[in-house]
Amino acid sequence: MPRRRSPARLVIALSIAAVLAIFLLYTSIAGGGTPAISPSQLAGHTGTVQLGGVVVGPVTGNARAGGKRFRLRDQKGPTTVRVVYRGTVPDPFRIGREIVVDGRVRDGTFVARPGSMVTKCPSKYTAKPKGQ
Amino acid sequence: MPELGRAALVVSLGLIVYALVAGAVAAVTRRRRLAVSAQNALTAAFGSTLVASVVLAVALVRHDFALTYVADHTSRALPTVYALSAFWGGQEGSLLLWLLVLTGYGALAVWLNRRRARDLVAWVVPVIAGVATFFSFLLVGVASPFQTSPAPVDGAGLNPSLQNPYMVAHPPLLYLGYVGLTVPFAFAIGSLLSGRADERWIVATRRWTLVAWTALGIGQLLGAHWAYQEVGWGGYYAWDPVENAALMPWLASTAYLHSVMIQEKRGMLKVWNVVLVSLAFCLSIFGTFLTRSGVINSIHSFTQSSIGPWFLGFICLVTAFSIGLILHRLPLLRARTQLESLVSREATFLYNNLLLVALCLTILWGVSWPIITEAVHGEARVVGRPYYDFFLRVFGLPLLLLMGIGPLIAWRRASLRGLGRIFAGPFAVMVVVGAILVALGAGSSTPGLVAYTFSAFVLATIVLEFARGTRARRALSNESWPAAFSSLIGRNRRRYGGYIVHAAVVLLAIGVAGSSAYQHVTDKRLAPGQSLAVGGYTLTYRKLEERTRANATEIRALLDVRRGTHELGPIKAGKNAYSSGPSTEVGIRTNYLTGEDLYVIAEDIGDDGTVQFRVFVKPLVNLIWLAGLVFLLGSVTAMWPDAREERRLALRYREVGAPSMQTR
Amino acid sequence: MTIALVLAALLAVVCVVVVALPFLREPETRSDAIDEPDAIGRRQLELAERRDRALAALKELEFDHRTGKVSDEDYRQLVGPLRREAADALRRLEPRAAAAEGEPVEPAVSNQP
Repeated sequence: MPRRRSPARLVIALSIAAVLAIFLLYTSIAGGGTPAISPSQLAGHTGTVQLGGVVVGPVTGNARAGGKRFRLRDQKGPTTVRVVYRGTVPDPFRIGREIVVDGRVRDGTFVARPGSMVTKCPSKYTAKPKGQ
Repeated sequence: MPELGRAALVVSLGLIVYALVAGAVAAVTRRRRLAVSAQNALTAAFGSTLVASVVLAVALVRHDFALTYVADHTSRALPTVYALSAFWGGQEGSLLLWLLVLTGYGALAVWLNRRRARDLVAWVVPVIAGVATFFSFLLVGVASPFQTSPAPVDGAGLNPSLQNPYMVAHPPLLYLGYVGLTVPFAFAIGSLLSGRADERWIVATRRWTLVAWTALGIGQLLGAHWAYQEVGWGGYYAWDPVENAALMPWLASTAYLHSVMIQEKRGMLKVWNVVLVSLAFCLSIFGTFLTRSGVINSIHSFTQSSIGPWFLGFICLVTAFSIGLILHRLPLLRARTQLESLVSREATFLYNNLLLVALCLTILWGVSWPIITEAVHGEARVVGRPYYDFFLRVFGLPLLLLMGIGPLIAWRRASLRGLGRIFAGPFAVMVVVGAILVALGAGSSTPGLVAYTFSAFVLATIVLEFARGTRARRALSNESWPAAFSSLIGRNRRRYGGYIVHAAVVLLAIGVAGSSAYQHVTDKRLAPGQSLAVGGYTLTYRKLEERTRANATEIRALLDVRRGTHELGPIKAGKNAYSSGPSTEVGIRTNYLTGEDLYVIAEDIGDDGTVQFRVFVKPLVNLIWLAGLVFLLGSVTAMWPDAREERRLALRYREVGAPSMQTR
Repeated sequence: MTIALVLAALLAVVCVVVVALPFLREPETRSDAIDEPDAIGRRQLELAERRDRALAALKELEFDHRTGKVSDEDYRQLVGPLRREAADALRRLEPRAAAAEGEPVEPAVSNQP
């Protein structure tokens, strides 16, 4: 017995609406993500950001005791910022390597979230995700 | 020899453009000889691309550093197998591999269908040629693998941490998957272009889609295993854009594999199926665009190259074309039948589709978010792991449950009372298992507990399905249990192969839940003689061992493992020091009975002999790898040729006098 | 260098021949039209697909019934419309079906969906 079209289509439409609602609810509560910026754009960002740049020496300290300290420079620019990092340091980390860290600025130094460092290896096919 | 390679690629481009233009003309004007000529051109293009590929492969093996590509990706010391794998190690070579697989698939698909679907094939050829034109053009004009430069003494070599079997298997498998999605797309578009309302395109591409989907799935699992074993950060999936690039088309294809069954059984959802197959294809191109263009901050990205805008343009073109064509042919696709009941297998398949596509689109949104925010706000924003984990749970857990519900509901309409009877058993299993798990302490993670109990439900339904089917078969044929079992599967390969795949997904879910929601992790710096405790194990650091190899110095920390009072033996973890930098080598101890892994990372080896350790205990993680094998088994079962089905199809086409090729 | 050029030229020639093959084999032909079903043939194909679908649905229903997934009353409710659908589809195909070799598909009583 052929039914009226409404019930099935209505339920499907409601389901799609429910999915959208969940999505919108989550994004409005969790926020619109973390800004991904370079050292030159740090000014004015007081919250957690994802900072990306090139590692500049000298690199001192220990990531497990007291923190690894280095500077991060813009990919295409001279601005640098002091960074202190605790946690797992990926193998490809070195001076001149591009990395990404999450964290926030405190008293002029970028304090990274522990374990958030990720290295990029742009000249090869695949580099590996580290940290997290 | 690079001249031969370059020439072969130019010949390929010419052939492919001819196949596109002549094929389109032949299809529109219905000219037979021209259509066959276009078909031949596609096959010849495969031959020509193969020649170019052989040239590159030989140059790689012979270390012909006059070729820039060879110099950039290999070195004299590189073992031959890895020199060959450098074929797909860089931008240009991987594009060539893509074209090779595409022309190969295209030639094969067209050849296999040359009798049954002549008029359809006439349209499929220009579509495949159209896609191939793009890649062929890139290879000739933008990113040629055969560029030469003054030969250096030795090449740059392959990153030592890439010199492992995964590098040999993972990318080609992924490509077989990605590129394979072009074939169902081409047949769908071809069917629309030809204005036909029959289902030959679905019948023709059923196994293609399965093969591509399987390759893509296994390829991803290999990648996850690679990350887990070799890269050694303690996980197997990081929601990296490049990982997502393979997951999205896989999810869309999974949705398509299900909804196409509805079209087969009920004749419904024709528009939706064409949309899905186009989405899967567009996502596969988008995926490879993400990997290459460097447009998204990913640790996997190639060099920022000029190739990005070309891909973006191609994606926009394909998307616009698909949407336009679907809208144009909408009247043709309108189905006469509609959903009769919300409690039916069609309805559960629809929900399955909704959840799969929702998950796929949320991942797409997350991956594209940096691009969108940069365009709108001038500042890129990224979403983190919590975003993906949330939606994986919200959409994935109901999907898991649906896997158990769907197969038990009949097509068209199911009565609620009948359902109650069918689900009673598995539901009881689920509750009992849930109670036991809570008693064992699994209540510490709600998503984990939910995943476990849903998995129990699904496994119970699958076992019941096999049992009921075997019993019914026995009643009919009086065979023994094993014989009935195998003949049941033999006669219903798609159904029971599908159930085996579902079982694989359940194993995957259990493995993922166990190793993420219930894992233990400890960080501690140890001096020789000191111990740490984690997840029931006690590890005592004994000493450091050093070994010098040809291209690396291997440093290993030796630890003794104890569980309770049992001495379980030693485990080693450390680093390899290559000239290009260090590389972590993790120590993994697998308990094959419980599927649990003890995972040791020696993060930092101090000069004073102390070592900073990070140790994980990952319950059930090996179920993930087992799931890969079960997945393969189920998929092969489902796609295995069925003589009965073939006969039926042949009969159908003979009856209606469908085109057949006389020996010409 | 010259070997490469010779091989390239050879490749190009072979490819051109392959492409021209249909025209070389049949310089003159009675019919250059693509062998495709005419309007009647297309309709027959759609009807055949519909018939096969109806028959397959019947088989699957019986299989589900036999394995206990569909209860007796559900089966009774569902089988009627399905049988009617299959009969209708068969009837529409009659002229062609009669010409084909006997029973076009396997008897519906096998447990084969």
